[in-house]
Amino acid sequence: MIESIEASPLYPIANPKSIALFGASNNVTSMGTSLLDSVLDLGFEGEIYPIHPKENRVQNLKAYRSVLDLPNVPDLALIVLPTRIVSEAMDACGRKGIRHAIVISGGFKEVGGEGINLEKELVAVANKYGMRFLGPNCIGVANPRHKLNTTFMAFQGAPGFIGMASQSGSFVTQMFSYLSDYALGFSTAFSVGNEANIDIVDCMEYLSASPDTRVIALYIEGIRRGRAFVETARSIVPKKPIVALYVGGSEAGSRAGLSHTGALAGPDRLYEGIFRQSGIIRARSVMEMFDICWMLGSVPRTKGRRVVIQTNSGGPGAEAADACGRAGLELPSLSPETIKRLSPFIPRTGSISNPVDFTFGKNLIDYFSEIPKALLDEKNTDILLFYFFMPSRRLERMMKQVGLPPDQITEKTTKLVDAYSESIMRLFENHDKPFVGYTFQNLKDPLVRILIERGIPIFPGPQRAARAIEAAYRYTRLRGKILAAVSQEAGVGQS
Amino acid sequence: MRADDLIRPALDRGQPALSEYESKKLLSLYGIPVAREKLSRSADEAVSAAADLGFPVVLKACSPELMHKSERGCIELNLRSEGDVRKAYGRIISSVDLELEGVLVQEMVSGQRELVVGLTRDPQFGPCVMLGIGGMMTEVFEDIVFRMAPFGKIEAKDMSEELRFKAILGAFRGQKPVDMDLLCRTLIAVGQIGLELDTVSELDINPMIITPEGRVVAADALVVLRRDVK
Repeated sequence: MIESIEASPLYPIANPKSIALFGASNNVTSMGTSLLDSVLDLGFEGEIYPIHPKENRVQNLKAYRSVLDLPNVPDLALIVLPTRIVSEAMDACGRKGIRHAIVISGGFKEVGGEGINLEKELVAVANKYGMRFLGPNCIGVANPRHKLNTTFMAFQGAPGFIGMASQSGSFVTQMFSYLSDYALGFSTAFSVGNEANIDIVDCMEYLSASPDTRVIALYIEGIRRGRAFVETARSIVPKKPIVALYVGGSEAGSRAGLSHTGALAGPDRLYEGIFRQSGIIRARSVMEMFDICWMLGSVPRTKGRRVVIQTNSGGPGAEAADACGRAGLELPSLSPETIKRLSPFIPRTGSISNPVDFTFGKNLIDYFSEIPKALLDEKNTDILLFYFFMPSRRLERMMKQVGLPPDQITEKTTKLVDAYSESIMRLFENHDKPFVGYTFQNLKDPLVRILIERGIPIFPGPQRAARAIEAAYRYTRLRGKILAAVSQEAGVGQS
Repeated sequence: MRADDLIRPALDRGQPALSEYESKKLLSLYGIPVAREKLSRSADEAVSAAADLGFPVVLKACSPELMHKSERGCIELNLRSEGDVRKAYGRIISSVDLELEGVLVQEMVSGQRELVVGLTRDPQFGPCVMLGIGGMMTEVFEDIVFRMAPFGKIEAKDMSEELRFKAILGAFRGQKPVDMDLLCRTLIAVGQIGLELDTVSELDINPMIITPEGRVVAADALVVLRRDVK
């Protein structure tokens, strides 16, 4: 493992102060041009030096005929050139003294044939100068806090806490807008491409050392440095969770062997075991991967899997209970003390068991304050799963019925929504148990939106919530397993 | 005896695998519990081996060419007398047209619970150990898990917890829970074989029987060799 984030070969790649850019021009349809556009669009604050054989200016920046003509040595070269001239550009960068590059261009190993040789040549050039590079055949890096986006898609949303390394560029670029819908975002995201020099294990080390990254997401089609992968993951997991989506080979791809074991060792099963050994939480879809990241990056580490559900209605409570059961979670009974504490707040139409059903209680504020507080204090449970219905519309109608003028209705509703969200935030911030929401409302609904923007995970539907909770519990167990193994090994070493 | 003393001569003879008898000797060297057995080269030898081991016994054709015995009529189970052994020996000799290393006389390990333990080599992860529900139904249940070697006891135990049908490892129909410590040591040892012996390409222990007392015993084993290693 690296000592500090600055020691990572990815540090200058994700945090450059100056960039030499090969392949941008004034031709609006070229990939290099749209890449420069992305960099400028996010407001990159360092120097950008377009390298162009003919143009004097590229998108209003002074262009240089050769990288050797640059006034100083940039931290990073970004290369989006035709395959056959990439090595030549890389060599010029090496001569100039540039030590880090991102090679966006494709046409290398991934196409086979001559591409394999071209990639070997590229690696040899980099090795000659001791250069480290990301790619080829990748879309580079998005580090929104550094205002760096080398992908050809415009960045959307805000920086977040998810650090990602992906063997598909689309799961970086296509997720900008998806994540911002959930008030989530990347701390840093790497597209690793062919991993000819820097690979996914290097990315894991970088993200592990990255202070803005609370959880690491990996999209994997195949791991190249298998043993280093497992060791690196096991050293990261005690301090940061790793969530991975693997969609590699099918079982048909398993190696033919003379033994049963060889015949049964299909890649999916092997990776299942490797992830569990590594302490990595395996997700079943991209959306589930980000759900799990949302959960793990937002709430305290859960101690167990005992869930208490709070709703205002039977159906959503029953469905949540069913979802929890299917996800392998437990729904314990409430203790007599909690039942006693809740009884003043729950009307006779409601139910004080698990799920707790508020129905139509007199004071709606109780639903957002005293009741969840009592449930978070409940010693029999580890997690509160809380149902968000839409109170603002109901409030507006009630106020209309009592004859309030329309301008006051909006103002009063906003005030009440603020009071509810403040109350929930206080509980969320002052308890060491996870508070998790679920809803069928649009995530743009005022109360829900305020809360997710302040960091509370509120999942669309209870199944996604239950599976994210189960994954969080899995993290607790996997982390515990690795820590136990570490202390056992240390014990053996001493004896 | 060292592992090399088993493997070198086999490679020199051009064997693709160790015979069952040799395979279990290799497992024993690594502390893996195997069924008690003797190799016989005549009906008389088989009878006296059976008497030494105690009835009932199992007879098996033994040859490095025989990798999947159950389908070829070369196993005779539950032989309870001298007469049974003599007849079974004759049937095996006449039904197998390979040159045999001998006929293996083996204690009849009792136990209804069967596991499979194995070793495979992955180009990226190196030697990987498998644990699963074994016996005839291995491919039916496909309840198997893998770990990259080396690993310790905690990880070995976690393998058993990953099995869908892990309930059979607990107390089961009057039988004792599996000796978890012994099972873990076995899994770790299989990984050690993978790490230490480049000449072993893959390995099966199937079935690994769990006795009513909870011990695990390798009842059959196959060690496949890799001839391209120096």
